[in-house]
Amino acid sequence: MTPLVECRRVGFSYPVRDGGARGAFAIHELSFSVEAGEILGVIGPNASGKTTLIRLLSRVLVPARGEIRLGGRPLGGFTRAAVATEIAVVPQDVPQSFPYTVEELVLMGRFPHAPGRLFESALDLDHARRAMAATGVFDLRGEPLGRLSGGERQRVMLARALAQRPRLLVLDEPTAHLDLRYQAECVGLLRRLNREAGLGIVLVSHDLNLAAEVCDRLLLLAGGRAARVGPVEAVLDEATLEAVYGCRIAVDKHPATGRPTVQVLWPT
Amino acid sequence: MRRSPRIPVLVIGALMGLLAWPALAAPFTVSDQTGRSLGLAGPPRRIVSLVPSVTETLFAIGAQAVLVGVTDFCDYPREAGRKPSVGGMVAPSLETIVTLTPDLVVATTAGNREETFTQLDRLRIPVYLVNPTRLADVLDLIARLGALTGHEAEAARLAASLGARIKAVSERVTPLPRPRVLYVLWPEPLIVPARGTLVSELLALAGADSVTADGGNGYPRYSLEAAVAGSPEVIILARHGGRPGPMAGDKWQRFAELPAVKSGRVYTVSGDLLHRYGPRVVDGLEQLARLIHPEAFGKAGRP
Amino acid sequence: MSQPSRLLAALSALGLAVLVLSLGALFIGSAPVSPGAVLAVLGGRAAAPVDEVVVWSLRLPRILAALLAGGALAVAGVGFQGLTRNPLAEPSVLGVSSGAAFGVVMAQVFGLRAGLLDTLGLTAFAFAGAFVAGVAVYAIAARAGGLPVHTLVLAGVIVGIFFASAITVLISIVDFDRLGGVIHWLLGNLAPIAPVPLGLFTLVAALGFWLVLGQSRQLNLLALGEEGALQLGVDAERVKRRIFGGAALLTAAVVAFVGPIGFVGLIVPHALRLMLGPDNRVLVPTALLGGGLFLLAADTLARNLIAPAELSVGVITSFCGAPFFIYLLRSPAARIGP
Repeated sequence: MTPLVECRRVGFSYPVRDGGARGAFAIHELSFSVEAGEILGVIGPNASGKTTLIRLLSRVLVPARGEIRLGGRPLGGFTRAAVATEIAVVPQDVPQSFPYTVEELVLMGRFPHAPGRLFESALDLDHARRAMAATGVFDLRGEPLGRLSGGERQRVMLARALAQRPRLLVLDEPTAHLDLRYQAECVGLLRRLNREAGLGIVLVSHDLNLAAEVCDRLLLLAGGRAARVGPVEAVLDEATLEAVYGCRIAVDKHPATGRPTVQVLWPT
Repeated sequence: MRRSPRIPVLVIGALMGLLAWPALAAPFTVSDQTGRSLGLAGPPRRIVSLVPSVTETLFAIGAQAVLVGVTDFCDYPREAGRKPSVGGMVAPSLETIVTLTPDLVVATTAGNREETFTQLDRLRIPVYLVNPTRLADVLDLIARLGALTGHEAEAARLAASLGARIKAVSERVTPLPRPRVLYVLWPEPLIVPARGTLVSELLALAGADSVTADGGNGYPRYSLEAAVAGSPEVIILARHGGRPGPMAGDKWQRFAELPAVKSGRVYTVSGDLLHRYGPRVVDGLEQLARLIHPEAFGKAGRP
Repeated sequence: MSQPSRLLAALSALGLAVLVLSLGALFIGSAPVSPGAVLAVLGGRAAAPVDEVVVWSLRLPRILAALLAGGALAVAGVGFQGLTRNPLAEPSVLGVSSGAAFGVVMAQVFGLRAGLLDTLGLTAFAFAGAFVAGVAVYAIAARAGGLPVHTLVLAGVIVGIFFASAITVLISIVDFDRLGGVIHWLLGNLAPIAPVPLGLFTLVAALGFWLVLGQSRQLNLLALGEEGALQLGVDAERVKRRIFGGAALLTAAVVAFVGPIGFVGLIVPHALRLMLGPDNRVLVPTALLGGGLFLLAADTLARNLIAPAELSVGVITSFCGAPFFIYLLRSPAARIGP
């Protein structure tokens, strides 16, 4: 079966900043795939390439080496708008002082489907409304984003991504800054979308336990390279994690779900 | 034999008529002081003057009857103030001008805006441009306005009498030594008359050695240092608008070592007399001469 | 209310206001033309030639110039504010109007001496100046692969300051006699424009308007940040180029055909945003009408307050614009932010 997304030996480096002591950050020889309908977690320390990977997947950046394929076809062959109808990114938050309402933001997700139109069609409105209902923000549709809580904004951005009707959802640290309750809500939502709509999900997170719980497979990044990719248990191996994160780690089994749990062994 | 020369003559005549059409259609062709040629339907009978000097001159040659509009700055003679005003010199009201139905507008390239000329051109109102920079131009302007308005005789008389007065002043001061004179058009920034200006010419005629005569072209901004370095024996301050304003003499009193200050020869004159290109320029000349050479004219001190 | 219907409602209201004010302005002026005479002229009935000249050749062209210039400046303001995501952006902030003004002042001080000025000649100088300024801003701000917005603003300010200083230099050396005229032009004034230049002005402004309107939906998406917009399929660089180009064209056209007029491009987009919300698809068309309305009102005041003398319209826009803006800002339903 053709994977939904496939990265083949992808390489990328940012332009060198003048006066930088170290070399520019780069991604090397990254190869992995995301199957249709699976949840892939992308984990790794800061500056391991998680954000860069999101940018590469969403065509914000273009690989210098290697290739990214979407449904078997090279990503470079798609127009930007076409990519946006297949891959939707849910960022951590919207910029400060974002002046639009919930509905206006969700409708922005319809842009890639008809970039030549000035105003959205009735069909666009319909999709937007369904997306808002799916994430439970329909009642908030007239509110300006500034008045919502962190959790509500998260759901609004998810609704926008859903309005794009993608095959793949890429979430950038979806539970960072969220209260536990909203974290739980978010996870529940994602699982439902994955199950019911068959949506492929790439979940970028620094929360290892969240990733362990929610994801089918994991990609562990370190220094721009794939340190490990595979089933959750295989990747969350103590030795590997200690090498990547540089601290002592214990991996246990979760009493209720049987999934691995990761704990840092704090220095005494 | 009679027919053959007729047809070519007719053709040539017709061609000449065609070529001369503009002149034929405009029986009264004049050329203004900048050399542009204007075709009018006849001698102008309704003139709007956008130049105070022109207004003054028209009154002086007795042609005020044809003057139908003036600017807010046309304040001499008194009667000029009673003529309808079209606004300022820089932004006169086109609507008011049009309402006055002039057949000629007299304007200057120094003080009016070229945008105004373009607009008047578009409205098919002929614009007669003047640009006097020397005394000879002023006399020429008087003659031109006389010819335009059919008051050639009065214009000639006026020009002759002005010419005689100018000659009188010049002859009186020629044998005398020339004191160094600083003429201050505007005190801050310091603006003085230099090459090619009417005031410089008047100063020379009045028997002065203007310290700023070669200090640039036109009316440049001058450095106070250079002015003081010229060590003027007479300082003349131009007064604008009838009130003693920024040109107050006490500003110069701090330069106590200047010959002019030491001898108390700091005077004010009316700017209207010397900066307008009308007949009163000669009054201004005489005033200058009296201040600079009191010994020759019998009266010293402020006018 | 959906955006298209909101747009329609706003356009109808503004359109009506423009029509009413334009008609009214035909009746007011320093020439004593009675309302009956104006009606006679408009109706094509027999009328005094003077009245016809005043209405058709003086008042109407000036009204049209005001509508066009005000609309162009307001649309440019919407574009620049959306592009830079900075509420203080206005056409003069990106250096283009200073460049155009410099071109014109140069022509006034040096090129064209005594003798009638060809209006088109001045216009060409204005566009040349605007072009040089625009290219300079672009060149300074552009990096490999794009036009970062914050450097665009900085580059615009720098170029604007440069040309403003250059203008000051020119003013300091200009003849005393010509000084009044140059300063008068710099204050910003409206004058009746002849049909050919007016037609040219309309064409250029239409092009600029079309460029900005065409990217107005994308401009909304730019509020998500460039990365966010890219991820939604927006070609951010293309949007920036077109908006900058369109807004610069509009600004240059106004300075070239009319003169530098400030405040309109800052106030009108804000006022409209406070009343209609931040959607650029609504703001751009309404700015065209709203800007025209504002400038027409200001100019009608300018040419009648102290008739027959005239005030510069730039003076009126500054004076009236600020209090109005304060009032709107303090109103409870304010929605601020580009």
